[in-house]
Amino acid sequence: MNLKENPNKVDNNKADNDRNKDITNTTNKNNSEKNTKEISLIRKYIKNYWKLYLSALFFLAIEAFCDLAQPTIMSDIIDIGVASKDIIYVLHSGVMMLAIAGIGAIAAISRNIISSNVSQKFGCEPRSDLFRKIQYFSFDNIDNFDPASLITRLTNDVTQVQNFVHGTMRIFVKAPILCIGSFIMAWLLSPRMTVILLVVVPIIAALIILSVKIGYPLFTKVQKAIDNVNAVTREYLSGVRVVKAFNRFDYERERFEDSNRRLTSLTTTAMRIMSVFSPGMSLIVNLGIVAVLWLGARWVNLGQIHVGKVIAFINYMTQLLHSLMMITFVFNMFIRAKASASRIKEVFSQENTIPEYIPQKIFKQPFKQPLATISKTGASINANTSVYTSASKEDAHAEKFLTHTVPGGKETDENKEGSSKIRVITTENASKDIITVRNDSGNIITTKNNSGVRGKVEFDNVYFSYAGGGGEPVLKGISFTCMPGETIGIIGSTGSGKTTLVNLIPRFYDVTSGSVKVDGIDVRDYPVRDLRNMIAIVPQKTILFTGTIAENIRWGKENATLEEIIEAAKVAQAHDFISAMPEGYNTLLGQGGVNLSGGQKQRVSIARALIKKSSILILDDCTSAVDVATESAIRTALRKHSEKYPCSVFIIAQRITSVMRADKILVLEDGALVGIGTHDELLNSCGVYQDIYRSQIGKGVASFAEVR
Amino acid sequence: MPRLDDQSKTIQNQGNEHKTQGSRVEGLESGAVTGGMRTEKTDTKAEPSRPFGMPGRPGGPGGMGGPRGPRGMIPVAKPKDFKGTIIKLVSYFKNEYLLLLAIFIMIVASSLIGLRGPYLVGRAIDAMEPGKDAVEFGVLSITITALTIVYVLNSAITFLQGWIMAGVSQRIVYRLRTVLFAKLQKLPLKFFDTRPHGEVMSRLTNDIDNVSFTLSQSVTQLMASVITIVGSLVMMIRLSPLLTLVSMITVPLVFILTRTIARKTRILFKEQQATLGKLNGHIEEAISGLHIVKAFNHEEKSIEVFEEYNSKLQQVGIKAQIWSGFLMPLMNVISNLGFVAIAAFGGILAVNGLITVGVIASFISYSKQFTRPLNEIANTFNTIQSAIASAERVFEILDEVEEPADVPGALELKEPKGNVVFKDVSFGYRPDVPILKNINFEAKKGSRIALVGPTGAGKTTIVNLLVRFYDTLEGEILIDGRNIKDYKRESLMKCFSIVLQDTYLFSGTIRENIRYGRLDATDEEVEEAARMANADTFIKRLPKGYDTELSESGGNLSQGQRQLLAIARAFLARPAILILDEATSNVDTRTELNIQEALLKLMSGCTSFIIAHRLSTIRNADVIMVINDGRIIEKGNHETLMAKKGFYYELYSSQFGEG
Repeated sequence: MNLKENPNKVDNNKADNDRNKDITNTTNKNNSEKNTKEISLIRKYIKNYWKLYLSALFFLAIEAFCDLAQPTIMSDIIDIGVASKDIIYVLHSGVMMLAIAGIGAIAAISRNIISSNVSQKFGCEPRSDLFRKIQYFSFDNIDNFDPASLITRLTNDVTQVQNFVHGTMRIFVKAPILCIGSFIMAWLLSPRMTVILLVVVPIIAALIILSVKIGYPLFTKVQKAIDNVNAVTREYLSGVRVVKAFNRFDYERERFEDSNRRLTSLTTTAMRIMSVFSPGMSLIVNLGIVAVLWLGARWVNLGQIHVGKVIAFINYMTQLLHSLMMITFVFNMFIRAKASASRIKEVFSQENTIPEYIPQKIFKQPFKQPLATISKTGASINANTSVYTSASKEDAHAEKFLTHTVPGGKETDENKEGSSKIRVITTENASKDIITVRNDSGNIITTKNNSGVRGKVEFDNVYFSYAGGGGEPVLKGISFTCMPGETIGIIGSTGSGKTTLVNLIPRFYDVTSGSVKVDGIDVRDYPVRDLRNMIAIVPQKTILFTGTIAENIRWGKENATLEEIIEAAKVAQAHDFISAMPEGYNTLLGQGGVNLSGGQKQRVSIARALIKKSSILILDDCTSAVDVATESAIRTALRKHSEKYPCSVFIIAQRITSVMRADKILVLEDGALVGIGTHDELLNSCGVYQDIYRSQIGKGVASFAEVR
Repeated sequence: MPRLDDQSKTIQNQGNEHKTQGSRVEGLESGAVTGGMRTEKTDTKAEPSRPFGMPGRPGGPGGMGGPRGPRGMIPVAKPKDFKGTIIKLVSYFKNEYLLLLAIFIMIVASSLIGLRGPYLVGRAIDAMEPGKDAVEFGVLSITITALTIVYVLNSAITFLQGWIMAGVSQRIVYRLRTVLFAKLQKLPLKFFDTRPHGEVMSRLTNDIDNVSFTLSQSVTQLMASVITIVGSLVMMIRLSPLLTLVSMITVPLVFILTRTIARKTRILFKEQQATLGKLNGHIEEAISGLHIVKAFNHEEKSIEVFEEYNSKLQQVGIKAQIWSGFLMPLMNVISNLGFVAIAAFGGILAVNGLITVGVIASFISYSKQFTRPLNEIANTFNTIQSAIASAERVFEILDEVEEPADVPGALELKEPKGNVVFKDVSFGYRPDVPILKNINFEAKKGSRIALVGPTGAGKTTIVNLLVRFYDTLEGEILIDGRNIKDYKRESLMKCFSIVLQDTYLFSGTIRENIRYGRLDATDEEVEEAARMANADTFIKRLPKGYDTELSESGGNLSQGQRQLLAIARAFLARPAILILDEATSNVDTRTELNIQEALLKLMSGCTSFIIAHRLSTIRNADVIMVINDGRIIEKGNHETLMAKKGFYYELYSSQFGEG
């Protein structure tokens, strides 16, 4: 989103300008981030460890040199010691060789200790940042990714990159050193024999490149064939009832046979083609050895070279070729790591469409000069003295936030060295009771509401379309007001925009135009955290987490006592089945609450929202798996509950009976509000509502009173 | 019905990709002749090769935890019955025995030929030994020719062996997959209902892949390693028994070292995997439940938990890596120690004229070849073990009890009329938990039967028994006067058509999906069925009409549209008995009206069973059976049941009355 597309542009009030500014800021920042390459990601994280990293490379170099030295000494031992039968020399050099091997080992172990530390920490950090980033994603951002793909990025991809970093410290540098070192050593041993290397090495290199070039597309094809087998199987498994019911076994078997046969033949071909390379490469190396032996013998005969040198040369030659293969290995790792890094980058480069209060880490610069500007209807005063004197909880919170977030900036228009400015802005309602504090980038630091109004929700000509939805509005010109303590029922066909509408209240998404206000303040003027604290939601899709039932309910209120939990569970009609369990409220739920039935999960989910005792409660079609009798018990209990803890309630429902008693019922049709009023009013005036009613109650019935 | 969707596909693909590339890398490496590369390879292998495996799928519809990848969480899966599984696996090798024998001979041959290499190199060096006046070119040229032949032969045999092995292993795997899929077709529904699909899929692909990879790579490698070790030892003894004895001093050292380190790392890797499992679990949960995390402002808490696991993982990871990193450098020192010992002692022997320098050179090569495969064998053995565990998982499915076969002399159910009788039917998915108790009813040809009752009352179970997805424990079910077990299953199935709550559409065109109802239907018949199902209008509005490709599970259609396709499919099948199991529960009530019109048409002329949550759907049924707690507690039509003011009345009023 940028300034141009922001429909709020028309709106001239200050808050909006600030908001736009904020949006442009983040956009710029993110653009520059996007432009950097995948490897910059590695560089960014390795920066913290570059000293360790370099020392690992240093040890690696020692290791490589030790490796290189060994064949020379070995050849000397044979050449000089054994050949002249000089045992003292053999022992002497032997000790030296052992010492070098020992040094190599120590270097290798030190290197390993360092590289293990670096690579594990390296893996830890981006994973942590990535997780944090995702946790603070807005709903728009989440929609851009498949959850499974996010999980893969956090797990597999980070590990891939981590392995690569570990690999670089282990062989990346060693391979070239060994490669070049071996070459030099071989050259020193006998420049003439090096000619053989000049023939063998390019052939091996060509073979390696060829194997990658041929292998990659081959294995991509194989991968596709595997996908195909997977797809067919998956379809069979999920459609097994239909397959059985229509007796389509032969058809399915044929489909599977096709993909299976294809996979088999492709894999066989790929394996066969690849099986040329490895013996081929050994053959070339071995023929090189033969050549060395032959030429060596001639030169030995002419007295130009010692036998030991021939042996050493062979050793260096094999080492060189091995290091070449190591390089291929690194290259393969690099390709994988690069793909992974770019997938991780993709997540990092997501710009958060709803800038939230993100504590710590993101901005690390200390808060230098707490010189702040406060503009209250235009006037500027010093922040230190005025804003924080009223040391309420929110303000303390704001202060903490400031110390972490406000960058020691350079580009301020009003105050060059003064890093930040803070504005206190009264909202457009201009009520004295409502104060919004922002920093210079337009981020809201805190919003105070002293008016005592709790749970009022206003929609004013709200239009909304999803970012990826091709601009097709999902909500069109919705306006209504929910007074504190009222119950609003929302009804309409699937896809009419019911869930979207309530999602705008906790600011899961931002309106495209118009405004949503809670307690008289635009939701965008609240710190997201505070806004969501006022709202409790029971979503359509129940999600519970690993932990006990009590812990799950405590999500709504961290320090809730067992009594409170039981109270909430009773309202949700969950107490009975929970206490019937052997472990009661301490029953451990598996991931996703697998050991509860759908209806039970929904009831726990309701309890979790109720315990929050928030001023706004949203129930999004949350009793679909609960049987009818229990559902009506929940409704009755809810009414009592809301008498005790007054709150505004939004109920989305499929069944008219669920919303019949609401103070107002909103009837949605294709994103438009086609009816608003009580049940009886709508039954008289709203065609869509009548349709729905008829579809559920049956044609013969005119009013619900009759049924009762 | 749990559904495995694109998400798990992504993950799985990535897992597979990882593996394929992994095997390719290894393929390249196996070309290594001696020394350095091996070191690195073993080093890499010491790390868990697929640390994240298949994280599985986050909560699916209704928050159900999806199928979880059992693999990847366990470092090295150990088979329960090693021997038994191998015997079973070998039974799949039939027809390949000859080729396998050929491969075996080739492995032996190439290993033995390979063993000649160092010996010949030693001979060649001997021939130019400085002690002599001139290089013995005669000997040298013979040795070098021999050496060349050895190398060429060795490569040729290795290549041939790889070539044949590719065919053999893939054929075996192909057979395994075919057999497994065929088995899946014979398994009763119970199997699919009680097992996460991801797990079954992972057996069909990952596990079989694992077996294939091990067959083609590790087994041959293991054989070659063993032969090389034995052969090297023999050659060493032949060259010089004394030196052999000297070089053996390193063996106990190697043994102690590997034991100590392996013991330590095994524990650490296990711990690492366990932590990884926890971390993955948390990630999965936090991301699939992100909406809730945000709604409840739980970000910080979630991050806290994450950080805890993450830093634990880091600590364990560092330890594990450090410990496994000790092995190689120390091994190198030990092997150098061996080298020095051999050189020194060999030198002494040479001084005394007991051996030649060339012997020492070849001896050194052999001793290197002797120690190197020791490590490889340990690693390969782990791989093989996990492959056997994979094979075991595959065989587990193959050992599942199949759907009972048709009784001997089973009848063909021809031109079914659709008279259904339940006689004293009792059933439970587990024998100790009865679901249906003593169900008795009769459904006349062409009548409309509705099944009503609370969730879990046993409505769907009745249907499952009728179509023989499950078999009754007690009592019998008759169609057209005969026990359904007396009919051939295939012909019995032909008389039903089922429309389920979750419509299952296959990837393919709309036309293909409708034709699924009757494969020999003509295009006209398909379109006619669509017209009958009120699906024709929306299909024609699609840009490609009947040839519109449906994405997997029909994601590009609305619930209502998908349901209409399922109905069209049922129309095409023209069954004697129609079953609608919550067919309209997932669509809103007004869309339902449209569908209902189609359903009414479909129901005319056949016996139909309707299960519905919404009572409005079933008001017009001829007979409404109220099921509660596994029993039929009320029976009658809407009016009589309402008048009775019993359970049905209660249900009906609670749905429509109370507000």
